[in-house]
Amino acid sequence: MPETQTPQGDGMRLADLVTELTRVAGEDFLEAAGRTEMDEIALRPEGLIALVTALREAGFNHLLDIGGTDHHPLTPRFEISYIFTAIPLGDQRDASRLHGLRRMRLRVFPDDRDPVVPTLSHLWPSADWPEREIFDLFGVRFDGHPDLRRLLNPDDWKGHPLRKDYPLRGYDRGFVPGGRVGPVPKVRES
Amino acid sequence: MAVGEHQPFVVTKLDEFLKWAQSSAIWPMTMGLACCAIEMMSIVSPRYDTARFGAEVFRSSPRQADLMIVSGRVSNKMAPVLRQLYEQMPDPKWVISMGACASSGGIFDNYAITPADTFLPIDIYVPGCPPSPDALIYALMQLRREIRAGSKAEVLAENA
Amino acid sequence: MTALGVFENNPDLTLAPGDDRDTLVLSMGPQHPSTHGVLRVLLKLDGEMVQSAQPEIGFLHTGIEKQAENLFWQQAITVVDRADYLAPLSNSLCYVLGVERMLGIDGQIPERARVLRVMFAELTRIASHLVWLGTHCLDLGAQSIFFYAFEMRERILSIMEFVTGARMHQSWFRIGGLGIDVPQGFLERMDDFIARFPQRLADMRAIVEKNVIIVDRLVGVGKISQQEAVDWGLTGPPLRATGIAYDVRRVHPYSGYETYDFDVPTQTGGDCYARFLVRLEEMHQSWRIIKQTRERFPGGPVVIDDRKIVPPPKTEIQHSMEALIHHFKLVSSGFNVPEGRIYQSVEGPRGEMGMYITSAGGNKPWRVRWRPSSFYHTQALKRLGPGNLIADLVAIIGSMDPVFGDVDR
Repeated sequence: MPETQTPQGDGMRLADLVTELTRVAGEDFLEAAGRTEMDEIALRPEGLIALVTALREAGFNHLLDIGGTDHHPLTPRFEISYIFTAIPLGDQRDASRLHGLRRMRLRVFPDDRDPVVPTLSHLWPSADWPEREIFDLFGVRFDGHPDLRRLLNPDDWKGHPLRKDYPLRGYDRGFVPGGRVGPVPKVRES
Repeated sequence: MAVGEHQPFVVTKLDEFLKWAQSSAIWPMTMGLACCAIEMMSIVSPRYDTARFGAEVFRSSPRQADLMIVSGRVSNKMAPVLRQLYEQMPDPKWVISMGACASSGGIFDNYAITPADTFLPIDIYVPGCPPSPDALIYALMQLRREIRAGSKAEVLAENA
Repeated sequence: MTALGVFENNPDLTLAPGDDRDTLVLSMGPQHPSTHGVLRVLLKLDGEMVQSAQPEIGFLHTGIEKQAENLFWQQAITVVDRADYLAPLSNSLCYVLGVERMLGIDGQIPERARVLRVMFAELTRIASHLVWLGTHCLDLGAQSIFFYAFEMRERILSIMEFVTGARMHQSWFRIGGLGIDVPQGFLERMDDFIARFPQRLADMRAIVEKNVIIVDRLVGVGKISQQEAVDWGLTGPPLRATGIAYDVRRVHPYSGYETYDFDVPTQTGGDCYARFLVRLEEMHQSWRIIKQTRERFPGGPVVIDDRKIVPPPKTEIQHSMEALIHHFKLVSSGFNVPEGRIYQSVEGPRGEMGMYITSAGGNKPWRVRWRPSSFYHTQALKRLGPGNLIADLVAIIGSMDPVFGDVDR
């Protein structure tokens, strides 16, 4: 690891990087878009690991976030978005040199009926929980994840709440706002 | 015995003494869930000092607490935990439902939030999002009046 | 038990044949005085030494993201405020900036609104750090700092109440500017705060910064290296404590931050004490920014002039038919945001707070994905917990400063 890295990486411009990554993704690549705030690449899950490894070599070492979106009724329905940024290591205490760090967004579109995406938890330890959360809220499975279970909802919860076909108020809440219908519901035995 | 009926002298005085003792030192439990918990922490801060009311000692263990202030939104995973804590508290115990989310679900009308009174018997509801510490202290005072009077009906009769 | 699944599937938490009598599996939380909210940490302990720490979250899951999908763009500000409940204005700043960029009006926000946004975002940062300081030191045993910190916080909250009407969850930053202009008397109160704060901060620092007990309890505890901090997704003070001055206000400036003169405090220790010092210094830097905003304080409007996004003033609604119609339209069906996606981030008190907002062209957000800083910091307890005493674990949780509204949403 060099003593201090320059914030803009090895000089590979973003446009060249996107071209290079497009080549790496191969046939799993869907589209690339240059947007004002961040470049993004859309691809299929099969090309994810190769692309992410190439990104890491290009300096994008910080996985900011993994998020999910449900575009139902459009297809492909699920979008898993990965946001990376390149943070130089070493003695970086001078904030004036850390300006305009590159960011990159990947949008992965798995299959609609049986959505599976390869996990990144062996590459980035921070990917563990976001993937569990997406499994909990959307039902997208992550292949190779060490411990894929629900994160935010109780373990025996049915359904995936953030899907568009899941009603806002859920099924059978057991109360109506402002009143109670029927006898006091039993608290689920924990 | 009904309100105001003639009662034996010693037992009445003992009763009153017990109620005075209970109401003067209500020890809440640290049941801080969400934003309301910050306002609950503010009631022991210098400006809204509840130490003058005897309620500054927040006990962490439910076995040592009298009052559970459900401060914050109650999610599905937390509800059984709250019920278990309530059952661990020794009698006499009271519950204040602080804030809109604990009282009725608040601004969150969705699958994840349930009001506290679906699984706990609540004595006082405090509206607000979050209620200012003044409101919580007012609720505490109201609870004290209820304890001293013996029941809610007697408080209302007193104030009538 | 909801946690039973964890015990069964997790070899870290089951007692193995080789463990001796002192090994214990314990659930710390979700009701615990020192977990700063509803966190359950499942610990495998050898006496007092933590061998494995598995944090379990979800006890405050509110469905904020789902709720925001069912509210108009301007209504969603209210639910978004309540995620990181110690820094409500930072949350709404992130959301509002993102939506303004999607609408294309981010260049038109009046200067007064931008300056006030910066001023109040920094006030929120100080208020949040004061709660951190009070509760962290309370966990370490220093109870008196709690009173100093909360007294100062009360001053800030009363300024907030004076201007916006609410102590917490102000919902004051709106799409297109601010909800309401500051009232008369605000500048005097602000000057009073600016005059008082440095002395009080100096008092608090004199008590804690070189305090023997604080130093003993925090130095060397929860040490994390730069590479690991980046791998575990840390941002904000935990990352700056490892020597990388990554501050979104400098790296991707917003709302005019590039025009203010402030330092980004950084330490190189990577341990709890380094994070402690970073946050203390951040309070001072925030105060510097507030002073600069007070010196600037431009006049002018606080909202943009577009009646399709911002409601007209109430006095006009009483006279003008057009204003009434605009107001009606905004209240009954909101406004449409063009289709697109944006990732907007701000520097919250806890770190990089981001939102990946997707619009389908309608009057409600299609998806508001929250990038929670505390989520990643709480996850890092898996790495930071083992090898420490329980008392150290308490110090580590405090130094990571998680807020569970942010973690669970």
